[in-house]
Amino acid sequence: MISKQSITVAKWEFLRFFKWKQQLISYLIMLGVMGAVFAWSYFVDEGRQQYRIAVPAGFAIESTEQFQFQQPTISFAEQLQQLQADETWHAVLEPTSEQVIIHTKAGKKWQQQLQTVLQEYYRQQYAAEQGWTEAQLTKLQQPVTLEMRFLDDNYKGKDRPEKLIALAVLFMLLIGLSTAFGQLLMSITGEKQQRVTEQLYAIVTPQQWIDGKVLGHSLSALKAMFTTTLMMLLGFVVGVLIFANKPLQLDWLNFGVLAWLLPFALLGVVLCATFMAAIAASIDDPNTSGKGAVMMITWLPLLFTYLVIDSPTGWAMTLLSWLPVTSFAAMPVRLAMVELPWWQPALSLLLLVATLYWLRRVAGRIFLRGMQMYGKEPSWGDIMRWALSNKVD
Amino acid sequence: MQITVNDIQKSYATVQAVQGVSFQIRPGEIFALLGPNGAGKSSIIRMLVGMTRPDSGSISVQHGDEVFDHVPRRYLGYLPEDRGLYIDKSVEKNLRYLAQLHGLSATETEQQLEHWLAVFELTDRRKEELKQLSKGNQQKVQLIAAVIHRPALVILDEPFSGLDPINQEKVVQFLQRLRAEGMTVILSAHQMAMVEKLADHMLLMAKGKAVLAGTLSEIRTQAQPQPEVLIETERALTPAELEQWLPDLDWQLTAPQRLTLKLSGSGQLSDCLQRLLPHCPLRAVTMQNPDLHQLYLNAMSQHQQQEPAV
Repeated sequence: MISKQSITVAKWEFLRFFKWKQQLISYLIMLGVMGAVFAWSYFVDEGRQQYRIAVPAGFAIESTEQFQFQQPTISFAEQLQQLQADETWHAVLEPTSEQVIIHTKAGKKWQQQLQTVLQEYYRQQYAAEQGWTEAQLTKLQQPVTLEMRFLDDNYKGKDRPEKLIALAVLFMLLIGLSTAFGQLLMSITGEKQQRVTEQLYAIVTPQQWIDGKVLGHSLSALKAMFTTTLMMLLGFVVGVLIFANKPLQLDWLNFGVLAWLLPFALLGVVLCATFMAAIAASIDDPNTSGKGAVMMITWLPLLFTYLVIDSPTGWAMTLLSWLPVTSFAAMPVRLAMVELPWWQPALSLLLLVATLYWLRRVAGRIFLRGMQMYGKEPSWGDIMRWALSNKVD
Repeated sequence: MQITVNDIQKSYATVQAVQGVSFQIRPGEIFALLGPNGAGKSSIIRMLVGMTRPDSGSISVQHGDEVFDHVPRRYLGYLPEDRGLYIDKSVEKNLRYLAQLHGLSATETEQQLEHWLAVFELTDRRKEELKQLSKGNQQKVQLIAAVIHRPALVILDEPFSGLDPINQEKVVQFLQRLRAEGMTVILSAHQMAMVEKLADHMLLMAKGKAVLAGTLSEIRTQAQPQPEVLIETERALTPAELEQWLPDLDWQLTAPQRLTLKLSGSGQLSDCLQRLLPHCPLRAVTMQNPDLHQLYLNAMSQHQQQEPAV
């Protein structure tokens, strides 16, 4: 059970890094930057302008909203002169027997759109020459429809919306673990540098201290995940309703899968935070120690899972979803993409909880023993020995 | 709270930090651990706190009917040698946090906070970040952190370090206040003048061993088995005269009218005075009581001479 002291430590740690004013300002800056990007892209959008294109006589192309094709009466040389003087024309076409040359003053984005329009015109011209109908041409241009049918009834298919949720969970876990990594390293080694640790040891047990640290920084990580999710959802809603001008549809959300994802994500963050706390507790001086990088091992389960995300029924994903140190990342993905019996995630969750319980005891032991070395950093051998010892302190 | 330490030993790698040390601390007294750096004081304190365990020997801590092998956290107030607080947090936040960890309620915390901040004249600075305070004031906050929960035992490792004489005096008063309130205090220090004023019992250590132990007078007796008396006379004396009058006594003529006498038994002083008085009138007779600093230096010097050369 979590003691009252651990909760006090957790509250202190959470609030230490919870600078709501700064966070609000950073979100406002982020929104401002996003707004500026949208505004900039709106103002520089060349698609909203109309371009005048000089074409030779007999060039029977219809003008579009973006391109106005005209057949000038002046000579080709005069057309080029006008183009050079920024008068009348944005482009002058010069068809030859082999190709069509587009004369413009300088490269611009709208010229790609012009090329597409011209390509389509020439395709239709060619079809007319060959005597093809419009329907034949359309058929020729359309790719063959290929449909995948899976015999395994449990496999939901890789392009289902649940895969997006699984990917989002992996991304959120990455955000959470990055937050926990930075804060735990700073908090634990900072306390050693500021020489608070021995004072705290006289008040709380190493286990209470490590539990409080893990809990506090897991909450910070979850807060970062929650606020990022909120920001992304906000962006999604604004994008759909305002920019895409479409109704908001959330019927693809599978709440049954979400109910499983949350405990895995939650326990995964706590498990990784415990591992990071154990490593950070063994670091005496972060400026000279190389152990800090080991804390990043906690990102590997995310990477491994991502690498096999398109084979959710394969042996690799199955193995990852059962291993307690990787299941927090892999089981949510498997759950999202494969129909599993309830006992599989339940058992995997149970193994995760058991590993978490063992690891928090190990972290407590490492903290105590590391502190008893008084300024000398323990070796990996020492840490392994403490981790495997059953001695109760 | 009574503590009995019996023949404890502690080694770290190749260093023997504590070698067979025994002592007793009585309830409500101030007990001083003295000795140069590396003498083993902090090692003993860490064993008392339970941070480390003795390799051999025993520690018995008795509080009421309860007996423990180290001081339980709930009875302990601790100022470690290696100390610090959260410098980017205010005085108040630091102390509130530690008080909460000690299990104090919000009301109790506020009462204790106001009381101790007033004692150390820090009330007006409670909202300031710790890094804005002088080193001396930071030290005061550390002392408050050690006693805010009114523990039965307070262990203070070098409480005077970094303080100016005025603040050192304040710490002396603070420790006297703790004793008056019934707390048992263990302190380790180098400031002999302060310890002399405060300590009821003391243990002088060198290289992990107990060199002297007891009250100040007991330590004097141990460190200086032959008390010295300074005798000042009205007229100048010569060595020849003294050879004649005091042939069997251990004397030294430090100035023509100043004679130092080393006493080796009771009644020796009155015998000496009776022999001198017929020949010359005396101006003053003063018992020479070396201060703790001198006793400490003497003891260290003797210990170094006794230690086999490595």
